[in-house]
Amino acid sequence: MSDIITARLATIVALAEKQPRLGRTAVMKLCYFLQTLRNVPLGYRFTLYSYGPFDVSVLSDISSTEALRGIESKTVLYSSGYGYEISPASKSRSVKALAPDFIKKYAPDISWVVEQFGKFGSADLELFSTIIYVNRESAQAKAKLATDALADRVHEIKPHFNRSYVQTKVAYLEEQHLLRSVKATSGSR
Amino acid sequence: MHTRFEHSLGVMHTATWLYDSIVSKSGDLLKQELAYDQQGLERDRRLVRLAALLHDVGHAPFSHSSEELFPRKRGAERFVHEDYSAAIIRSELRTAIEGHVLSANAGFKADDVAALIEGGAAAGRAVFWRDLITGQMDADRMDYLIRDSHHIGVQYGRFDLRRLIFSVIAIPPDKENPHPRLGIEEGGWHAAEALVLARYFMFTQVYFHKTRVAYDIHLRGVMKEILPGGLFPKPAEAGLKEFLKWDDWRVVGLIGRGRAGEHGRRIIERNHYREIYHTPEVCTDKDLRELRKVKAKLGKLVVAEETAKKSWYKTGNTDIPVFSKVRSPQVQPLSKYSKAIEGMKENNQVLLYVDSASREEAEKRKRKGNQQR
Repeated sequence: MSDIITARLATIVALAEKQPRLGRTAVMKLCYFLQTLRNVPLGYRFTLYSYGPFDVSVLSDISSTEALRGIESKTVLYSSGYGYEISPASKSRSVKALAPDFIKKYAPDISWVVEQFGKFGSADLELFSTIIYVNRESAQAKAKLATDALADRVHEIKPHFNRSYVQTKVAYLEEQHLLRSVKATSGSR
Repeated sequence: MHTRFEHSLGVMHTATWLYDSIVSKSGDLLKQELAYDQQGLERDRRLVRLAALLHDVGHAPFSHSSEELFPRKRGAERFVHEDYSAAIIRSELRTAIEGHVLSANAGFKADDVAALIEGGAAAGRAVFWRDLITGQMDADRMDYLIRDSHHIGVQYGRFDLRRLIFSVIAIPPDKENPHPRLGIEEGGWHAAEALVLARYFMFTQVYFHKTRVAYDIHLRGVMKEILPGGLFPKPAEAGLKEFLKWDDWRVVGLIGRGRAGEHGRRIIERNHYREIYHTPEVCTDKDLRELRKVKAKLGKLVVAEETAKKSWYKTGNTDIPVFSKVRSPQVQPLSKYSKAIEGMKENNQVLLYVDSASREEAEKRKRKGNQQR
């Protein structure tokens, strides 16, 4: 297995150790935040879907980590649907040992991302990650979007969210200094 | 003749079929959750058809085999063929798309088609349909599995396409999934199961077959030899024009004229690398330890190491949601219906190759280690 793949598997174990009963959506979005907000070189290629930034390789890595018994995953049925719960398993230490230097170097980032986003449910994680995706995309295109224009654009992608709810999440990310090159909403400051 | 053009027409046809079926079954949900009206649905139908037709237009010669030779985009990230597709749509195809009377009436631009293919925010709510272009049950996969199996002459890639298409619906949001998403009506779960199994068998028996993978290695070697600097040009302006000059025929011509180096010669002589060792399809940590031992024994005789995890065709592990009118909860994953799917694990097989000339020596070294133990 290449270094990048062992680093990814070890990171998934580290996330599962930090955050009990982690969902699959949470792993996807926490990996996105690690790569995008903390520049952790996981080598994923996230692109936008209606459920936010996604790379199928993350699911593939979850599955490989499970096969190596670094984590275990169970399907949980709720009254309205289902989800997954991921926890460390019997070989979690040996999977982390596949990339010891990587884990040591990025341990503060893994702690940060769990502390910052671990408390949110999958719906909020999808929304936060979509806001960051749209923000980074416009920043790369050298376009400076005002926060209300950013909320509008995200609302166009996710019209099932209430627009004012999207605005509160944009404001939260701005307060945390996690947005790039945004202009304040006209008239708000 | 098995061509990408034929496949692209098939993907457009299948995507249209899927789109119409979903709108017919889940139109009210789409109107309620994504604020669609009839005009919006007609507009996005055209958008999806164009994106499906053009999704592969940015492929390099021999498709995925030489994708490692795309240049760097930023940091360690490389361009992918979707970046080239989007760039071609925005430049070479812009006039054809925007100048067409149907596009004018539908009110979309080449950028909207490109955004849907590459996953850009400009796609807006139409990003919902991206799963039809690239997702677990996309039109691309449905087409290539059946088309490849037909042309290759194997039976593995077959499944009930019609049953599957007429079973795909938009699943209503729930607490965990606040957005509508694509899924299957309960009656179609066996068709969805057959799609997943077809994909698994095509991967293990065709796409990751040891000899097919060996020729990927040689085609990659050929491209590295003949491309200036060993890399494709970037998908921008002059680079894109240069990229478009690279097609299968030009590469085959260079191989035939002996201008494609050692790997080109190997293709002509059918003297491909030989597989010397493979792990099980699902590796445990014990298998990885064994792999390391074999690699140590073989040393420099190993000329290539290929892993299923890096393959474009890798099987992934997304679970298809199934909607039931009678079960509780109404939405459950396909793995709760199918024991076969529940038991499936990610294929992370690793193949090791040696030169055909050193195969005997490699076999000896492998055996020697085993006898000593």
